[in-house]
Amino acid sequence: MSREGFVAPQNLSSAASGFTSNKNNTVKYICTSCATNVSLGRNDAIRCSSCGHRVLYKARTRRMVQFEAR
Amino acid sequence: MPPKRRDSVRQGSSRHSVKSAASDESFNELLKPMYKGKALTDEINTAEDKWNLLPAFLKVKGLVKQHLDSFNYFVDVDLKKIIKANEKVLSDVDPDFYLKYLDIRVGYKHGATEMDPILPPHECRLRDLTYSAPIYVDVEYTRGRKVYSNKNLEIGKMPIMLRSNKCTLNGASEGRMASLDECPLDPGGYFIVNGTEKVILVQEQLSKNRIIVEADEKKGIVQASVTSSTHERKSKTYVVTKNDKIYLKHNSIGEEVPIVVILKAAGVTSDLEIMQLVCGDNATYQDLFAINFEECAKLGIYTQQQALEYLGAKVKTMRRHKLTTLQEGIEAVATTIIAHLTVTDLDFKEKALYIAMMTRRVIMAMDNPKMVDDRDYVGNKRLELAGQLMSLLFEDLFKKFNSDFKANIDKILKKPNRATEFNALLSINVHSNNITSGLNRAISTGNWSLKRFKMERAGVTHVLSRLSYVSALGMMTRISSQFEKSRKVSGPRALQPSQFGMLCTSDTPEGEACGLVKNLALMTHITTDDEEEPIKKLCFLIGVENISAIDSSTLHSNFGVYLNGTLIGTTRFPSKFVTQFRKLRRTGRISEFISIYTNSHQNAVHIATDGGRICRPLIIVENGASKVKAHHLLKLKQGRMQFDDFLKQGLVEYLDVNEENDCFIALYEKDLSEQITHLEIEPFTVLGAVAGLIPYPHHNQSPRNTYQCAMGKQAIGAIAYNQFKRIDTLLYLMVYPQQPMVKTKTIELIDYDKLPAGQNATVAVMSYSGYDIEDALVLNKASIDRGFGRCQVLRKNTTVLKRYPNHTQDIVGGMRVNENNEPIFQHASLGPDGLGEVGCRVESGQVYINKSVPTNAGESVMNHSESTHRETPVFYKAPEPSYIDQVMMSVSDNEQALIKVLLRQTRRPELGDKFSSRHGQKGVCGIIVQQEDLPFNDDGISPDIIMNPHGFPSRMTVGKMIELISGKAGVLNGSLEYGTCFGGSKLEDMSKILVDNGFNYSGKDMLYSGITGECLQAYIFFGPIYYQKLKHMVLDKMHARARGPRAVLTRQPTEGRSRDGGLRLGEMERDCVIAYGASQLLLERLMLSSDAFEVDICDKCGLMGYNGWCTSCKTAEHVVKMTIPYAAKLLFQELLSMNIAPRLKLEDVF
Repeated sequence: MSREGFVAPQNLSSAASGFTSNKNNTVKYICTSCATNVSLGRNDAIRCSSCGHRVLYKARTRRMVQFEAR
Repeated sequence: MPPKRRDSVRQGSSRHSVKSAASDESFNELLKPMYKGKALTDEINTAEDKWNLLPAFLKVKGLVKQHLDSFNYFVDVDLKKIIKANEKVLSDVDPDFYLKYLDIRVGYKHGATEMDPILPPHECRLRDLTYSAPIYVDVEYTRGRKVYSNKNLEIGKMPIMLRSNKCTLNGASEGRMASLDECPLDPGGYFIVNGTEKVILVQEQLSKNRIIVEADEKKGIVQASVTSSTHERKSKTYVVTKNDKIYLKHNSIGEEVPIVVILKAAGVTSDLEIMQLVCGDNATYQDLFAINFEECAKLGIYTQQQALEYLGAKVKTMRRHKLTTLQEGIEAVATTIIAHLTVTDLDFKEKALYIAMMTRRVIMAMDNPKMVDDRDYVGNKRLELAGQLMSLLFEDLFKKFNSDFKANIDKILKKPNRATEFNALLSINVHSNNITSGLNRAISTGNWSLKRFKMERAGVTHVLSRLSYVSALGMMTRISSQFEKSRKVSGPRALQPSQFGMLCTSDTPEGEACGLVKNLALMTHITTDDEEEPIKKLCFLIGVENISAIDSSTLHSNFGVYLNGTLIGTTRFPSKFVTQFRKLRRTGRISEFISIYTNSHQNAVHIATDGGRICRPLIIVENGASKVKAHHLLKLKQGRMQFDDFLKQGLVEYLDVNEENDCFIALYEKDLSEQITHLEIEPFTVLGAVAGLIPYPHHNQSPRNTYQCAMGKQAIGAIAYNQFKRIDTLLYLMVYPQQPMVKTKTIELIDYDKLPAGQNATVAVMSYSGYDIEDALVLNKASIDRGFGRCQVLRKNTTVLKRYPNHTQDIVGGMRVNENNEPIFQHASLGPDGLGEVGCRVESGQVYINKSVPTNAGESVMNHSESTHRETPVFYKAPEPSYIDQVMMSVSDNEQALIKVLLRQTRRPELGDKFSSRHGQKGVCGIIVQQEDLPFNDDGISPDIIMNPHGFPSRMTVGKMIELISGKAGVLNGSLEYGTCFGGSKLEDMSKILVDNGFNYSGKDMLYSGITGECLQAYIFFGPIYYQKLKHMVLDKMHARARGPRAVLTRQPTEGRSRDGGLRLGEMERDCVIAYGASQLLLERLMLSSDAFEVDICDKCGLMGYNGWCTSCKTAEHVVKMTIPYAAKLLFQELLSMNIAPRLKLEDVF
């Protein structure tokens, strides 16, 4: 018997799909080696600008996050 | 390892010098003025304080030292031997050309004082790289007429075992480890290949190059077999009985050859000498053997030449150049039979003796059936470690490398006129990827396929389990056996008495691998190969008579001396020889891992220098007194002596299983007497690292300890100091882990108290509600609110942004917004870069990596179509939301962007979550009760857990009760108590503490009911027990579905939780419904709720049509509509397709 996997809905239905946001913001990343803030655009190479380290972490969001403390 | 490839590098000396500073720090406690409540000035009691040798041993050896030693030996010694054995590359075309390997090094250049800097291991884990170091070779080669030499030629990269002497972490301080994001408590001993941690498990095998005698009493067969293993090949030679006559059997010899013929072929032509070699002057043996001469005489074989020709005619060979039968015979005796003995100058004497010895062992077993060997005896086994497996693999790859290189050279040299002079170096680097990728592939898939040995082994490596610290540690001490799991023999699975102190008696899995997978005990060492030649010389120096100089008639009147299974001489004074030999070992003249023992049944002294033997240290006893005295232990405590000093001064020595049999070992100092030769360092070392976590295991029923060993590996806890820096596929972490109130010495030694996995719960052993039957636990809601059993689940998701050949690549896109410029629900947690925002909550159905792949990736570059992208977002799908913990961006080794998103869930215990104490007593949470409703004692303490007392009588886990009393005493006393195996805090002392603090001696308290406020009618056993939360949680298992996805082929509901599958009404359930007679229910369940399908059936031909038309009858007249399962329709069509026509006959219903 074939076991085709369950596929989550792949294409968003057109009503809820919305418009593509054209904001092309650069996002802040943090270098694991020297902890400097690195701003990367969409097509930038992943590399720390000051030390050349190749592992970057995304900085924590500035949005408000609400936790349910249970 | 065969005796062939040895040089004068002894590895003992290097081992002592390399001592990791990191472990020094963790053992620094030992050096402080107060240690374990004892000051330096305190009186030293040898009987109690000798256990301090154990931490000293672990300081030098560590828990995974066997892996590290083996890998170090491979990199430092074995590699050089491999190079030496394959040192020249010659060309068939140009006879003047040669390339010779001079030296090989891993990780450092010629003349360099330091290792080359390599990427730190944690970066390799994060970036999915391989933690490896370059392999450098020095070569000498010809170019034209001149000989050039070149140093530091890189031929590939070698994966490096963490914490081995080629690792960056070797000797790193705790601070340095922290700066490298590495946990100082991590044992090491594994590899990092493509970002995953891989362990090469220890493999258990029957020892090579040793004679094993077996008997089948029913069939009356006795056989002696020896597996010869050399670097070239592996073969097995048998000496078997058949109708009371003895034959030699070998795979490449067509039929069994009479033993006398073989001995004659090996140059022992005189019947008298054969008789002397095999039987000596034992009349019974002579009678048993005499029949074999007749066999030979019947064949008319009297001379060596006749025998060799007879043998040569039987040999099966696949040779290109035909040899004469005589040559075949010589070849067979010289190289095929007992291949591990090398014959020089056609001197077969050694081989003849070996065959004679095998025959003698067969005769002995024929005479006395008890004279057989036990395959399951630990002394007859060898453990194969990472280094040996790597060396087999490397030699194979290196040979391949050389042959590719040679083929390349030949190709170039064949060209008649070359523009420039040929430079071999240019073509050597072409193949360097073969070694690198070959090593990587073998380790990452676990498939060791070596054509040389016809070895095809799968599942050699395993992913290091990081469920908890103990599970990782337990994996490093695991031993897997080569026996087949399906075979129904109990022998290999049974607990062997010879395992004592070497292999853990408790730690083995249940079920099919029971007894086949074992674990090393705490204080064991696995030997590496040592050289034979110096030992041989030494033996002759201290009075062994060389075998080549001995008259055959006196051979068996004295004790034979065997070196690694081969007879090298005889001695008239075996006990004197053995004592002298041991003295030399104790004074450090020879390696401490060489074992020697007398076997009085075989009149033999055996010396073993080979690798893979398990051994353990014991205190030497002379004249009924331990050699380790109080002042030694004092010096150890002050840090003026180390474990190696004890070895060098002959106070402590290593014994392997065979030599243990030759000794009298006292368990305690009080048992010492004149006969005693050794004293146990600490009795609790019979257990391994995992079983060592159990408090008072000597009070438990044995299977309970085994169950705990399995469960301790599933407990959620702290994993490593760098646990928050790790991005693993799945990581379970406990939020508030505690070290146990009742510790063991093992817990301290393996640093479980620093990385614990559990919490001390106050337990009331009583019945409460009906929700505690069948081991269910009652949990206190207030305790859960305070953080009891709370854990975090971290899950990784990796995405690689691929680049395609036509210069397009995957992209992560931005989010989509609605008309109010707010992100749509699916994209709510995305950031502007198309990745989830760190810290944001993701709910089921939301996207956290919004990746798009180009639609024209397959097209060529020439086709200048505008590249469009198709969205392939990663959806979050789970019943509970998660938070984005970390988003890591990096580059993998092929310059593609690598994105890892770590999702976090914090979970509090809920109904159905699994908990366990440390005594194999697991249970699920049955009910969570408000604290107000729980019973409380005089102090107002209410329990965290209520456990049903029915769990005790049948399981007999008395250790758990004692843990409770010791724990309670510890709480009242403000101390941590010990539950060490065969020791620990005494129950009497604990009861005393309880009484002194106004409690009942038995640990029972008077409790008040939380509901009525009345006293409970019975006193309740009440106190702290260490509880572990196991990884099996309801949230990961819960599953329900009404309608959902179906499989395409059968249109039946899918299977399994991961595919949102249906809940199957299986055959047994079906049987119940049939028995009950609920046919309509059955019809609904099996068809309507599953794969009902309406078909048109022709009543006339019985075949299926469509649209009310029968295609075979070409009419619509008899077509009837009916509902059948789609699977049935599929079956009919499948039958039709193979020329079977199933025809349906329709009848009226009722």
